[in-house]
Amino acid sequence: MSRLLYWISIFALQVLLFNHLDLTAFLVPQIFIILLITLPLHTKKIYQVLIAFGLGLLADLFVSTPGIHTSACLFLVMLRMTILNTQDLKEEIANRLNYTARNVGVLPFSYTVLILVFFYHLYIFWIGSIGAINTYNLLVTTLMSSVFSLTVIAILQFMSLSHSRE
Amino acid sequence: MQRLLAFIEHNFHFILFIILQIICGFLIFGLNPYQQAVFSHSAASVTARSNQFSTDLTSYIDLKEQNILLQSQISEQFKNAPNNSFRFLQDTIDVKDSSSRPLFEAIPAQVIYNTTYKANNVFVINKGTDNGIRKNMGVVSSEGVAGIVLRSNAKYSVAMSLLNTDMKIIPNINDQEFFTELVWDNSNPHTMKIMGINKLEKIKEGDLVYTGRSSLLFPPGIPIGSIAKLIPKPNSQYFDTYITTATQFRKLAYVYVIINRDESLITPLMPDNE
Repeated sequence: MSRLLYWISIFALQVLLFNHLDLTAFLVPQIFIILLITLPLHTKKIYQVLIAFGLGLLADLFVSTPGIHTSACLFLVMLRMTILNTQDLKEEIANRLNYTARNVGVLPFSYTVLILVFFYHLYIFWIGSIGAINTYNLLVTTLMSSVFSLTVIAILQFMSLSHSRE
Repeated sequence: MQRLLAFIEHNFHFILFIILQIICGFLIFGLNPYQQAVFSHSAASVTARSNQFSTDLTSYIDLKEQNILLQSQISEQFKNAPNNSFRFLQDTIDVKDSSSRPLFEAIPAQVIYNTTYKANNVFVINKGTDNGIRKNMGVVSSEGVAGIVLRSNAKYSVAMSLLNTDMKIIPNINDQEFFTELVWDNSNPHTMKIMGINKLEKIKEGDLVYTGRSSLLFPPGIPIGSIAKLIPKPNSQYFDTYITTATQFRKLAYVYVIINRDESLITPLMPDNE
């Protein structure tokens, strides 16, 4: 129940707050992908793909970009599977834990998140401007949005760590 | 089969990922107006390119047929060329009109064997006596003189190439016949030599060499080559003249056999036959 609430709150944050930041055209952070990044480690690959598809469709629904977030979410879970294969997570999988900084360690988690967040943003902005890509704008938007998203994700993870210590 | 099923089962998530990505592709390029426009533009350019490729491919496949067609057209034009026609007065008293009929005919043929590395080079063509080809007929390529038919059977003929030490041909330079022989000295497959052109003759490097009227095998004006080098022989009144052949013998693929229609009527009249 608490996990469902967590999902709804993160998604609501994305839809109601981060989608309407309007600070600059270069800042379009996608926080909700933390939901996919932190999926439980024992989740079957096929379910991960289906969850990514569903979550992507939902995200597209709120920003009227049919297929863009869905496609990016699918790429994200495939990339996540590839990265996680390089990490020793047998114990965590056996204990049915989520992929969080608290469970797998700050360093491997940061490494994974850094890559996934950067490539997710790069992918959506690339698809969004396909046919008239301005490399400078693409990189600046990707970097700014990624840094912002990473900061929010770091705060969320820090809150989670502090909560577990208490 | 079991391995295949095991492979599918093991990689089912990836297969599903591909299927869902395809669906996403349809969504992205079907429902987003900007991406749809980009896709339409790209699709049009891809279609244009593929059409161009298909046209090029068809043209390439059709090349052989086109070559044969062109050969027959050239042969027809050759027959009707003014150089190859003799004008006969119809009536010696009442000269009202003149008509021309072609003296030479050209039979298109393909070269199926060719040598350029021997002292006496020959090439074989895919036409023989069934097509009216006989010994001692001239053979030309689209570039110039190629050789002379040595022997024929029903389907094939062997021709002596210009690159043959036995080949001798009378050159015509600047509309002037030189009664000396153009020969191949077995040194280079592009070069022939004329001995005995007087230093007083007004010829220069680059001048074109044609067939003249001293042969019944070739119509006059068929290119043989061009003068490449004109070397004055020391202590002599003659030049050593080197000719670059018009025909590229290493690439010889299509030729025309020249048939002199009245050769059998003209030859017996020649002084040599008396």
